[in-house]
Order: sequence, then structure tokens, then C-alpha cells
Amino acid sequence: MEQLTLPLPLPYLKVNRDGRIVAYSALAEDHFDLSSGHIRTLVDEESINKLDRISSEAGLSPVKMELNMKTNENPLGLFDVHLQWDSENQAGMIFLPKDSSNEELIQKLADIQNRLSSSDFELLEKKEELENVLKRMDRLSGPFIPLSDTLCLIPLFGDITADKINTISESCLQSVFSGSYEMVLFDLTAVGEVHADGIGTFIQLVKTLKFMTGNVIKLIGIKPNLAKELNRHDLDQWVQFNHSLKEELTYLDQ
Amino acid sequence: MTHIEALASCLLEGDPDKAWACIENYPESARPDVYHNLMTPAMRHIGHLWETNKITVADEHLATATCDFILSRLSYGIGKETSAGKAMFLCLDGEQHYLGLKMVDSLFKEHGWETRYFGPSLPLEYALHTAENWKPDVIGLSVSIVYHLPKLQQYVDAFSRLPENPAVLVGGRLTDLYNLRPHCKEDTVILRSLPETERWIQNDLTGGQQSGTTNSTPSPPVFES
Ligand code: B12
Repeated sequence: MEQLTLPLPLPYLKVNRDGRIVAYSALAEDHFDLSSGHIRTLVDEESINKLDRISSEAGLSPVKMELNMKTNENPLGLFDVHLQWDSENQAGMIFLPKDSSNEELIQKLADIQNRLSSSDFELLEKKEELENVLKRMDRLSGPFIPLSDTLCLIPLFGDITADKINTISESCLQSVFSGSYEMVLFDLTAVGEVHADGIGTFIQLVKTLKFMTGNVIKLIGIKPNLAKELNRHDLDQWVQFNHSLKEELTYLDQ
Repeated sequence: MTHIEALASCLLEGDPDKAWACIENYPESARPDVYHNLMTPAMRHIGHLWETNKITVADEHLATATCDFILSRLSYGIGKETSAGKAMFLCLDGEQHYLGLKMVDSLFKEHGWETRYFGPSLPLEYALHTAENWKPDVIGLSVSIVYHLPKLQQYVDAFSRLPENPAVLVGGRLTDLYNLRPHCKEDTVILRSLPETERWIQNDLTGGQQSGTTNSTPSPPVFES
């Protein structure tokens, strides 16, 4: 193995048909570990077949190919390799490192991609948090209060929406079924706005309760705006309407 | 030209519309079939074109971006109902080959899993941090480059110390080429393909025994239809 004295600005190797390195430039020695004296140990295993195939098909004309090379810095450095056989069955190989500014650009693209997907996650997380808070608020807007062994009270707070009633229904039905109540009071004094789908869901809940338990169900504290809404649905066979919680409790006391 | 070659050439042209048309023309329409029988072979065919000196790594970058777009479009909108469990997916630090991982993420979503997909090169501390807070049932790792194997062991070790004891799945190109068991723990699940992964998911749902690949007999494809 002979070192070329010619000052070459790129790594250069001369190899024979067996892949033995017969000569190398100074830069080749800087880039690669030449101690084995064989080209195979410089080329990534999954680039060797490529080198074999392309170089054996080359004839005497120059060929160019990309190969991954094991360099002193990087086990997988990408190079443009220019190769040409001479009449003595020796190939001159020039190794042109692929411009690393390319890599930089690609890294930046990847960073942006990452950022996009991570802000995606953050938004998703916030959305989940919000949904949980809303659910919790809904649950708190219809607490279940057992007043005696046979009487329970469910006061509703705030706007009546389908989501809220759905959230409340679950725990409400469970609590009513697990006791032996005879009467369920819904106190609507603190109800704000009433959404059409909310009222529908509420009526569904009332009917389910009536149907499944046969309990007496009373709606109390109905304000005029709610009365108007409720009047549209024919509810008399399902529930009784009373005036206020106070009246209801005085009546029970007697 | 086969469907696979046709898709590969659309990907290399960087033409997402043409590539999408290839997907639509493909006779099978179930996502796992498209991933396994069309897109994976198309990307591997692109690898073959590089090996035969027809294209460069720069072309592969363009094909990758186009393929990524197609994958996003294919999996858009799945994963609405999420009840089966939580799974996070990542590539080892430095590993840029993420397309396979993205397919696996999509597969889990399709089976009703809630997933977090981190894509290429996720440093271990970050992965651990997420795993500690989010408490996934499954952590899926992908590795394609031989030089990343020592890191595999590091990741697997760290995840095996998590208190929730998530199932650790390992996949990627190298599972086909080497026995990765020495780089893993006994209970690490090594999965060599999408059909094998889909079988694991199905077994998991029915609570069956989970072992992944412990011997070296390749499993037959599971996508019959
Ligand atoms: C496309 C490609 C790229 C793309 C990246 C694509 C991407 N984002 O995924 C780009 C251009 C960025 C790229 C870059 C590089 N690449 Co590249 N690349 C390829 C190529 C051609 C195809 C890979 C691919 O997309 N396959 C298709 C996917 C879908 O298949 P898959 O990954 O195996 O996944 C399937 C299964 O394994 C499984 N699976 C995958 N992950 C997981 C995870 C879990 C949990 C489970 C259960 C299953 C699972 O499911 C998938 C679906 O079927 C291969 C060649 C080849 N034959 O593989 C080279 C190849 C892998 N690359 C290689 C190299 C060297 C590089 C570079 C170093 C080149 C360079 N010098 O710049 C860089 C560095 C990247 C890095 N640091 O990671 C070498 C690796 C050699 C080695 N010794 O390991 C290969 C083999 C090419 C070669 N012959 O030299 N590459």
C-alpha cells in the first residue's frame, strides 16, 4: 500500500480486482481507517453489494454511485463515489462527501415536522382537560340528595343542555335504583337557560325513572320560561308539578 | 408495471395526487393490506432502486415525504372511539426511518387504541418522561439501522423499570435480519411485520398469551381477504 505524494483535494484510493487497496491519498487516510488494507472494511455492509455490482458492470468508463462509508467520524457517511478501471485492472476511486448542508436542511424540516406534531399533542391535551372540566361541572350541576329513606331530591343548576342531562342521568339513575325511594323531587329553581335538546333529554330521564321505578316524580320551582317549554310536552301522566321545595317539605311534614 | 412499482415511481416523482390515485386503484382497500402489500414493498423497492444506482438518497427523501403524506391522509379520521388501551410509538434517538412506525400507529388506532405517535428520533429522557406521565399500556419502538442497536437495549431497560409495566414492542427492518433478543428483555415483544403486529393486537384484546417472535419461523400473512 503506497501513499500518493500528489496533493489531492479529495480522498482517493486505488484498488485492485480483489478489493485490496494499492494506493491512497493523504485525505483518504484522514477520512478512513485503512489499517485492513481492504476496501470492504470501509464500506457499510449494506452498500457492499452495490459497489460490487456497479463496479463490475462498469467496463472502462467512469461510473458514479452513492455509497455509505464508515468514516473516522461517522459509521454511515454518505458519499458520491466516482470509480474508473484502468487497463491494469486497478480502479481509481474518488470519494466526494455529500454536502452536509443538505443534512442541515433536512434536520430543520424534521424539526418543524416534530413541532407541528407536538403542538398537535398539546392542543389535544388541553382539549381533553377542558372536556373533563366540563363533564365535572355538569356532574356538579345535578347533585343527588337523599332526604329520607323514601324521598330524594335532585336540584338542577344552570343551563339545561343535553350533555349536562346525559352526564347527570347516569349517576342519578344509579342512585335512585340503589335506594328504595318512593318519591323523586327535581328542583328547577336554579335553572337558567333551557336548550331544546336539553329539555328533550330531561323528559327522557324523567320518563325512564317513572317507567323503571314507578316512583312519584315531582318537578318543583318551575319558572315561567320553563313552564312554557314543559307545557309543549304532554307530561301530566308522568310527573306532578308543585310549587316550591318549601311547600313540598311542609306538605310532607303534615 | 406492478402496482408496487407504479406507486414507487409516483412517490419518487413527489406527486401526492398521483400517489393517492395509485392507492385508490389498488384492488385491496383495507388499510392494513395497503400498508403491508403495497406501501411497504414500494418503499423497499425504492431501496432496491438505490442499490442499483437508479436513484439517490435525495430522491428517497422526496419519496419519504410523499409517502408520509399518503399515510397521514389514509389514517385521517380513524381512532375516534378509544377504549382498547393507550399506546405510544417512537424511533430510537438518531433513527430517522419512521414510516413503518407510523403504519403501526395507524393500525393500533384502527383497533380502538388511543395513541401518541412521536415519529423519528425521540431521546430517551423525553420518552421516559411521557411514559411516566401518560402511563401507556404499550410502548412501540422502531429501529432500522444496525448502529442503533446498543440504544435499543438502553430504551428497553429503562421502560422495563416503569412501575406500570407496559408491554414493550420492538419492530422495524432489523427484526427481519437479525435476532434482536440479545438486545431486549425476555418479555420484550419482537414483531416482524404488520400481520404479526395485528395478531398481537387481536390476542391482546382477547387477553391471550403474548409472546411475539421467540423462534425463527416466519409467520404466514394474516390478511386473507
Ligand atoms: C426510505 C429510506 C430512508 C428515508 C427514511 C424513510 C423513513 N422516514 O422511514 C431517508 C431518505 C430519510 C433515509 C435516510 C437514511 N438511510 Co435509509 N433507507 C430507506 C429505505 C430505502 C426504505 C425504508 C422504508 O421506508 N421501508 C418501508 C417501511 C414501511 O418498512 P419498515 O421500516 O421495515 O417497517 C415495517 C416493519 O418493519 C414494521 N415495523 C416498523 N417499525 C415498527 C415498530 C413496531 C413497534 C412494530 C410492532 C412494527 C414495526 O412495520 C412496517 C410496516 O410494514 C431503506 C432500504 C430498505 N431496503 O429498507 C434504506 C436504509 C434503511 N437506509 C439506510 C441508510 C444507511 C440511511 C442513511 C444513514 C443514509 C445517509 N447516509 O444519509 C440515512 C440516515 C437515517 C437515520 N439516521 O436514521 C440503510 C441502512 C444500512 C444499515 N447498515 O443499517 C438502508 C438499508 C439502505 C441501504 N441499503 O444502505 N432512508
